[in-house]
Amino acid sequence: MTAQPSQLSPVKLGFAVAWPAFWTGVPIKIVLGLLLLAMGQHPWEFPGLAFLLLLSIPVDIWAVGLTGRTVFLERLGLQPQASLGLTLWWQGAALYATYGSLACFLGRQTIASSQAVAAKIMDMELLKAVPVAERISIELTLWGSVSAVVLLALMLGGLFLFGKLVQRQADAASPASAPYEARVHQWDLMRVPADQPLMLTVFTATGVALVLLLWAFMPVTTPHPHESYKQDEKKAAPALKPTEALQKAERVLTQAEASVQALEAKAKKSKGKAAAPDKKAAAKPKKA
Amino acid sequence: MSAQPNLLEKVIAFVDERVGLKTLQAKMLHEPVPGGSRWAYVFGSCLLFIFIMQVVTGILLMFYYVPSADHAYASTQYIIHEVDYGWFILSYHFWGSSAMVVMVFAHMSQVFLWGAYKSPREMIWLVGLALFGIVMAFGFTGYLLPWDQRAYWATTVGVEIMDKAPIVGDFLARFLKGGPTPGQMTLSRFFVIHVMILPAALMGLAGLHLFLFRKAGPAGPFRGTPDELKAKTDYFFPRQVWKDMVAMGAVFATICSLAFIEPVVLLEEATPDPGEYHPEPEWYFLFLFQLLRLKIFSGEFGQFLGGVAIPGAFMVLLAALPFIDRSPERNIFKRPVALVGWILIMTSILIFTVSAIINREFLD
Repeated sequence: MTAQPSQLSPVKLGFAVAWPAFWTGVPIKIVLGLLLLAMGQHPWEFPGLAFLLLLSIPVDIWAVGLTGRTVFLERLGLQPQASLGLTLWWQGAALYATYGSLACFLGRQTIASSQAVAAKIMDMELLKAVPVAERISIELTLWGSVSAVVLLALMLGGLFLFGKLVQRQADAASPASAPYEARVHQWDLMRVPADQPLMLTVFTATGVALVLLLWAFMPVTTPHPHESYKQDEKKAAPALKPTEALQKAERVLTQAEASVQALEAKAKKSKGKAAAPDKKAAAKPKKA
Repeated sequence: MSAQPNLLEKVIAFVDERVGLKTLQAKMLHEPVPGGSRWAYVFGSCLLFIFIMQVVTGILLMFYYVPSADHAYASTQYIIHEVDYGWFILSYHFWGSSAMVVMVFAHMSQVFLWGAYKSPREMIWLVGLALFGIVMAFGFTGYLLPWDQRAYWATTVGVEIMDKAPIVGDFLARFLKGGPTPGQMTLSRFFVIHVMILPAALMGLAGLHLFLFRKAGPAGPFRGTPDELKAKTDYFFPRQVWKDMVAMGAVFATICSLAFIEPVVLLEEATPDPGEYHPEPEWYFLFLFQLLRLKIFSGEFGQFLGGVAIPGAFMVLLAALPFIDRSPERNIFKRPVALVGWILIMTSILIFTVSAIINREFLD
C-alpha cells in the first residue's frame, strides 16, 4: 500500500511530485496569461512575462506543497513537514536555474547538430533521388528520434535530481501514525475543502468575475483587420432626446403660428389700405 | 418546533413533487467512482463543455452569417470587422473546433490505455467511435462556411478524397458538391449538415453514450489492490465535479488565449482558381494529406489506398478492438502490443503532420 522512500527510485519520486504539481499550477497560469492577453500584453514578452513569472511563484509553491504532501501521505506513509512546498520550490528553482539552463543548451545543440547530420545524410548521392515528401519525413524522423532520445534522457536526469531533493525531505520526515484510510481522507481534505457549497459558490463567483474582467479588457473590434476590408465610415446619427425634440417642435410651431398671425394681420391691414384708394378711384371718372 | 419552509424551499418541493428533482440529482451526482476521482477522467466532461460552447457561439454567429455563395464571405468579414466582439466569438468557435478534435483524441487515448473499452463497455466504445466521426465531420463541414480560398480548396481536396471510397464515394461526393465545382449548393448542403444534422446526431449519440456509461459504471483505475480501490472509492460529487470544473475552466481559458493569439483572418474570397494558394485541409487532416503525397500512394489506386482503404481499415480495427482483445487485463504496462501500437500511431500522426508543415516551404 505504501512504499519506503528508498523503495521508490529518485526518477519515480521526482515524477510523482513534479508532474501533478505542473498540472496543478497550469490552470491558474493559463487564466493569468489570458487576462494579460486581453489587456494587450503578451505573456511571453517583457512586462507581461515578468508579471506572469512573479505571480507564478506563490502558485508553484502551493502546487508543489500540495502534490508533495499527497505523495508523502499516500505513497510513502510519511507525515510531511509544514514547509515542504517552500523547501521543494526553492530547491527546484535552483535546480532549474543550473541544470535546466544546461539541459536547454544541450537540447538546442542536439537538435541543431542532428538536423545538420540528417541533412548531410539526405544529401548523399544515393539518396538524391528520394522524392520531396519522403525526404522530409525521413529527415524529420532521423533528427527527431535522436533529439527525442536526448531530450528524454535530459528530462530523466532532471527528474532524478529533483527526486533526490524529494528523497532528502522524505528521509527527514517522520512516519505517519494514522491508518491508510485516515491518511487518504487527510490528503483528500487538502484538495477539496469540507464545505462543498461554499467551495462551489466561491469557484463559480471567481469564474464569473474573471469572465467579466475578460469582457471588460477585450477589444470590441478585431485587433487584426483584413488588409482589403474597407471599414464602413458611417457618421453616427445624433441621439434623439424626445422631450427636447417635442419642446423644439413646440417652439417652432409657436413661432410659425405667430408668423402666420403677423402675416394675416399685415394682409388685413394692406387689404384695408388697398380698398380705400379703390373707392376714391371708383368715385373719379376714368380718363379716356 | 419545525421551521416553516421559505419560498425557495417551497418552489423546490413543488418542482421535486412533479419531476423527481431530488431523485434525478441523486442519480446524477452520487455515482460511485471506483478508486476515487482522477484528472484522467476529465476529458469526457470537457468534450461536453466544448460542444455546449460551440453551440452557443455557433448560434451567435448565425445571427449575422448568410449561407449564400454571394454573401457568406462578406457576412463573415462583417462579423470580424463590424459586429461587437464578433472577431472573438468567431475565433473562439474556430479554435473550439480544434479543441474538440484534440479532446476526442485525448479521451479515446485514455479509454484505450486504461483498457476501458473491454467487456462490459464495448457499446460505449462503439458509440464513442461514431461520435469521433461526427466531430471530424463537424470540422470538415464548418471549414467551408467562411467561403474564402482556404475553405474552398480544403473542401475540394476533402471531397476528392471522399470520391475515391468504393460504392458510396461517388454518390457522397456528388451529393456534397451538388454540381461540377463547389458553389451555392455545396455551401447550402454543408451549412445544413453543420447546423442541423450533425448537432442532432451528436446530441442523440452523446446521450446514448452517457446512458451506456452510467449503466456499465466507470471502469476505475487499472492498478491498485481491491483494498486501495475501496478506500479511495468516492461519489461523482464533489471531487470529480471539482476536477471537471477546473479542467473546463482551463480549456475555456486556453481556447480564449488561442483566439487572442491567433484570431481568424480570412484569405481572399473563394474562386475556382487557386492562384498562388496551395490547397490544404485543416491541421488535423494534415497527416493524411501528407501521407497521400508519398510516392507509394500516387495514382488512382494509391490515392484510394492511402485516402480511403488504410483509414477505413484502421477505423474497422478500432471498432472490432473490444471483440478482438478479450483479455480482462487492463494494465497498459502488461499489454505491450496495445502500448507499442498506440505510441506508433501517435508518433506517425505527429511526424506526418509536422512533415506537412515543413512541406509548405517546398511549394512556394
